Amino acid sequence: MTKVEAVIQTSKLDAVKTALQEIGVEGMTVIEVRGHGRQKGHTEFYRGREYTVDLLPKIKMEMVLPDDLVEKAVQAISSAARTGKIGDGKIFLSRIDDAVRIRNDERGETAL
Amino acid sequence: MVASPSIIDELRENHSRALSQIRDDFQRVMDGPAAVAQQTALIDESAKRLWSRFISNNDHRSHPIALIAIGGYGRSMLFPHSDIDLLFLHEGEWSDKDARDKIRRFSQEMWDLKLRLSPQTRTLSDCDRVDPNNLEFTISLLDCRYLAGDEELFNRLRRSVVPRLIMRENQLIMQKLAEVTNARHSRFGNTIFHLEPNIKESPGGLRDCNLVHWLLLLSGIEKLREWPEPQSLISPAIREQFSRALDYLISVRCFLHYRHGRDDNTLTWEAQAEAAGYRVGIKQQERMAPEEWMRLYFRHARSIQRVAIQLLQEIPASRSSLYREFQNWRSRLSNSNFSVVNGFILLQQPGAAKDPDLLLNMFRFMAEHGLRLGTSTEQRIEQASANLAGKMPKGAKLWKHFREVLLQPHAADALRAMHFLGLLNLFLPELASIDSLVIRDYYHRFTVDEHSFRTIENLHRLRHPQSEWEIRFGELFGELEHPELLLLALLLHDVGKGMPGNDHVKASLQAAWQCLERLELAPAERDTVYFLIANHLEISATLRKDIFDHATIEMFAEKVGTPERLKMLCLLTYADIKSVNPEALSPWKAENIWQLYIAATNQLNRNVDQHTVSTHAQDEQIACLKAMAPGLAQKLEAFLEGFPARYLKTHSSEEVISHVGMANGLADDAIQLDLKKGQHWFELTVVTPDRPGLFAKIAGVLSSWRMNIVKANAFCNNAGVIVDTFYFTDRFRTLELNLPERERFKRNISDALAGELDVDRLIRERSYAGRDTPAKVKVETQIEFDNDSSPHSTLVQVIAPDRTGLLYNISSTFAHHGCNIEIALIDTEGQMVIDVFYLRAGGKKLGRTKQEQLRQELLEILSSP
Repeated sequence: MTKVEAVIQTSKLDAVKTALQEIGVEGMTVIEVRGHGRQKGHTEFYRGREYTVDLLPKIKMEMVLPDDLVEKAVQAISSAARTGKIGDGKIFLSRIDDAVRIRNDERGETAL
Repeated sequence: MVASPSIIDELRENHSRALSQIRDDFQRVMDGPAAVAQQTALIDESAKRLWSRFISNNDHRSHPIALIAIGGYGRSMLFPHSDIDLLFLHEGEWSDKDARDKIRRFSQEMWDLKLRLSPQTRTLSDCDRVDPNNLEFTISLLDCRYLAGDEELFNRLRRSVVPRLIMRENQLIMQKLAEVTNARHSRFGNTIFHLEPNIKESPGGLRDCNLVHWLLLLSGIEKLREWPEPQSLISPAIREQFSRALDYLISVRCFLHYRHGRDDNTLTWEAQAEAAGYRVGIKQQERMAPEEWMRLYFRHARSIQRVAIQLLQEIPASRSSLYREFQNWRSRLSNSNFSVVNGFILLQQPGAAKDPDLLLNMFRFMAEHGLRLGTSTEQRIEQASANLAGKMPKGAKLWKHFREVLLQPHAADALRAMHFLGLLNLFLPELASIDSLVIRDYYHRFTVDEHSFRTIENLHRLRHPQSEWEIRFGELFGELEHPELLLLALLLHDVGKGMPGNDHVKASLQAAWQCLERLELAPAERDTVYFLIANHLEISATLRKDIFDHATIEMFAEKVGTPERLKMLCLLTYADIKSVNPEALSPWKAENIWQLYIAATNQLNRNVDQHTVSTHAQDEQIACLKAMAPGLAQKLEAFLEGFPARYLKTHSSEEVISHVGMANGLADDAIQLDLKKGQHWFELTVVTPDRPGLFAKIAGVLSSWRMNIVKANAFCNNAGVIVDTFYFTDRFRTLELNLPERERFKRNISDALAGELDVDRLIRERSYAGRDTPAKVKVETQIEFDNDSSPHSTLVQVIAPDRTGLLYNISSTFAHHGCNIEIALIDTEGQMVIDVFYLRAGGKKLGRTKQEQLRQELLEILSSP
């Protein structure tokens, strides 16, 4: 089992969700986050005051998938989230030892 | 004495069979009161039988002990999965191990009957004091009921110890009870209107029923010095309503306990649907939709909450003399129509409740001072309400009253009171569709009507900001020119959710339009409210895009049109999201709304000249103007061509037609003036061919008359005709009190523009000794030049402390340097001016040298008093 974490532009959430659902990903967690990579922050002036956003609003999506679905999910996220500009985001993959369904104590991939 | 196993087994079997029977009976007829009575009787019987098996009469004599039901069990109100509160009452030290063992085994057997026992062991003297950290125990004694054991011991508790304790500690007990209740209400947002209420703990739930019962007992014992009949202390009308509500809740709680199989009192959506299907708590045979069934729940919860709050408010506060002084001050608010006693409004005159104007004034009074209506006031209004419908003020008169209520800091509470009494539906029948309406989604916590009231409440709360975000949004709220329009839009924005169809925005608009027409709002006001309702989801939709992308901002700003509408929409979004549930407006969301707001503001102010009116394009507003004045169609086209689109957004259709008329008059008189007195300020419009120094001269004359310019707009069309509008306040009421002065004022303007009056000299001659009011807030002067935003002009933004003559100083400096003001957007917020000018010199943008010269001169002028 693999945990897929994707940090994407907020405007791409709907597209990525749809793309993942189309390949059969049924569960995910979505978190509102702030961050930046190489993308610079944003500054606006309002009434003589400077408002700088160093950490830009992003969306983080997390899901744990069976290994055979991981590559498809990565492709789906990348295609849906890509604009070609700096700030598109990143995907991280990590191994998961086990998973447990709280309702009935199911374990392993069947708990996903 | 030991009970034989066969007797215990028989007891268990009978007990289990009886429980099943109670459950079956309930599920057949859904009669909660009968079920709890049967449940209590069954537990009584089992407890007594076990007691007699384990505890002999000899045991009583050597160590007097009484088995007493307390709490809910003592009230004979045992729900299927309630805890059973038992008190083992004894006297003195208890050293007999054998006696304690018997009690323990008795308790064990009760547990083995699958009963959740909550036993307590106390002496009489333990019961004779209040532990502030365990008020629950003292309160549970109010419901003590004899079960078995030493009856004389019980009688001493009930007849002597408890009444004596109450007479001694009544104030402390009531105040602690009030504190605990207020904390509980606060946890539930002080509202009954939850989409999935906890029918025990929520306001208006069973805990509040218990509270009423206890408060009445406490005050009864204090007054009568004996145990009263609680019902005798409550009026018959309210008693009946309360009793019906209590029976309903008992049935619902039984249903939930059986459904969930545990003491879970949350009325989830699924449970609501089932309860409606089983007709829990209702006698009618027809099927009821879950939404209708929930309306019934809210009606009952309201009845209970009303009594509970009334009784709570009557508890004297344990507060300082300063608070008492505050309460006394509030009493001084009394007038000939209503008196204020302990924070409650009481109607003075017998026929007052039948007078709609007086009632509306009363609600305004309530909203202003944060008061509550007394019970007698509510009853009188309810009795009179049937006859009020035909006497309600109408049209503009109703709007005038209603507007005054909306603008007060406690408007939401007044609206709730009006809603509760059925009056709000008389003024705004559109709201009837969302009365106690449950909309099922995972975000909203409250019913639709409560959500709408909360939006208004959350906006008014911005007057006393608690966080950085509230400070920022609060500043915007303070700057609004017509906050009542925003508040009205908030009240109406979701009425469509109670109407058929999937598009609630469309339905809300239709309902709002009827309402706005009925209230006879001015066309510009209607447009604003309509715009806000139509676009109340626009910011949320835009936040799903890239808000740092210029195209997104441009499109959004184009849709919004003006800074004033942008502020209103931003605040509407803030209030709407904040009222969904307490966590909905996260810092992440608030930050994004703010960023969108400032980016859009800059877009609106810095790109004014990029969108000009083109009469060849299909434009609804231009078509509407032509329809209003068909005879002027050609002249209208010629007049409008070349104005920035902002011109049409900042002037109503009537104003534009009027300007066209003024432009037509230029052939006879090259300087056309119009002076009007508005609600908040005077409005001077000048239509004349453009020429250098024009704007400065007008500003100078205004300054010489000591007028305080609050706002101004200056636009120019392709034909070189300008429309400059100045909004100003008449500080010394010169024009307000002396009508002939208005003509002299206009003559000064005309003469100045015609070059026949030296404005500088006029200002010098009329220099008064009086100074401007010292600034309360330090505003740093800032001058910013921007040569990138506009393709045609140099933008200059001036932020400075406001003072008389400031605009004249700035604009005359521009004129002195040969700069033409193409567009001016002048605004004053509190003691700060924010002026944006689009300048050209010699038909081109300003070079760096010119910019620097202007900057130095402006800084020098603006820093001198």
